[in-house]
Amino acid sequence: MGVLLMEGQIAELTKSSGMLGTVDMEIFYWWCTAIMICIHAGFLAYEMGASRAKNVLASGVKNILAFAFIVPTFFFFGWWIYLAFPSGIIPGESGAAGLPWAAEMGPNLSDNASGVFWAAFVLFAATTASIFSGAVIERIRVSAFVVLAIVLGSVAWILAASWGWHPDGWLVKDWGYHDVGCAGLIHVVAGFFALGVLLNLGPRIGKYNADGTANDLLPHNVPMVLIGLMLIIVGFFGFLGACLIFNPGAQWTNIYGQPATLSSYAFNTLMCFSGGIIGAWAMTRDPFWMMSGALAGIFVAAAGLDVWYPPLAFLLGIVGGVIIKPGNDFLSRMGIDDSVGAVSVHGFSGVLGVLAVGVLAAGYPNVGDAPPTSFVGQFVGLIVMLCCGFIPGYLVSLALKSFGVLRVPDKAQEIGLDLAEVPCQAYPEAVGSKSATLIPAE
Amino acid sequence: MNTSPITTWDGAAAYFTFADKPIVMYLILAAAIVITFGTIIMAAIHEVEAFKKLEDKK
Repeated sequence: MGVLLMEGQIAELTKSSGMLGTVDMEIFYWWCTAIMICIHAGFLAYEMGASRAKNVLASGVKNILAFAFIVPTFFFFGWWIYLAFPSGIIPGESGAAGLPWAAEMGPNLSDNASGVFWAAFVLFAATTASIFSGAVIERIRVSAFVVLAIVLGSVAWILAASWGWHPDGWLVKDWGYHDVGCAGLIHVVAGFFALGVLLNLGPRIGKYNADGTANDLLPHNVPMVLIGLMLIIVGFFGFLGACLIFNPGAQWTNIYGQPATLSSYAFNTLMCFSGGIIGAWAMTRDPFWMMSGALAGIFVAAAGLDVWYPPLAFLLGIVGGVIIKPGNDFLSRMGIDDSVGAVSVHGFSGVLGVLAVGVLAAGYPNVGDAPPTSFVGQFVGLIVMLCCGFIPGYLVSLALKSFGVLRVPDKAQEIGLDLAEVPCQAYPEAVGSKSATLIPAE
Repeated sequence: MNTSPITTWDGAAAYFTFADKPIVMYLILAAAIVITFGTIIMAAIHEVEAFKKLEDKK
């Protein structure tokens, strides 16, 4: 009798412990998603601060809409793309769980995971769109931007993720591609998508002189830029946490199923973050680039966050901080007006991040039949990421350009996009604004 | 309107509104898709007209 009672109690305890683990998993991804929203608050402040006063709200509207349109489109087809395409360009049956009418895609008592995973991926997707957003401020049409943001966030990066992040992705299975923190999957894809668009979009009015020399179109509010960048850093702690798999009752794994710890991410994220700031400070003394360096530092170390020796992550961060300003200057000399340095900060740092694993972290074993990490595997992955970003960015923006709906006309740029298309003012009491000239009633 | 696909919580799985009425679910989904992309098209048309007016003011 006593044994039977004990067995019953053990079964009850096992069941409640399992449920507790499942709920802990849900809570973890819920809060990672919430923290990731700081990335968008940060990009919002960053882009508005980096704009000139006449374009502040237009930049903000664009950024808010990127987030808003990624959410439904990622529900309509983004999650399906991730689940359906790991083996290449032919959709597989595994995508059924991501179709917008699937039982998993809504409140479901037998599925605690799909909603929180979907939400975390939505925030990853919206991050890619926000990365691209900053590069094109002050001259892209809102409607064209939204189309491009959807193509990037709900199609291009998630297809790359299906190939190089999904544990069954062909880049993982065949090449041992390793990119736990999305150096290639998000930063290379988004950075080179932005480059493809910039080639068709052209520079802001006034950026270049007739002789080809560039003018600095200065941010109207550098403190807002700096706070925005720091908020992005906060958000990336949620982002990187959500890159790990919480296995109730067992050790964490990275996205590929290899054992990992949240501690490894904590060591390395902080070390590369500080390395990025120090590297950029040594190079520029400029707080704008110092905080951009913090981001670049994280991206250069991102692909191998689970395995770096922390001082190596610090050195990688320094490399990120050192290269971004020269990288952006090079693009500027080529006639590419990247308003916030997104191609350099995300694209160039991401390239180094993917290759860093190939050079400095080769030989780590994979799970199942997948080969270990290698330089060749990382190089192949990098080429794929470059293509997933640049080709759709260039082609879709070329199509929009050919229809005449990509770029804001010169006259609207000259008077400022806020006046041309936003029904309120950013600084109504500023000298020269409409409201500043009104005489208040006594 | 009774939209619940379940009559008891015992053994319930997918319990979102209209989960047992796929035709209604498809119609709602279609409406969401049309509105999402329709607003983008409307924004593009509005921008073309607004910028044309601005150019005509020269």
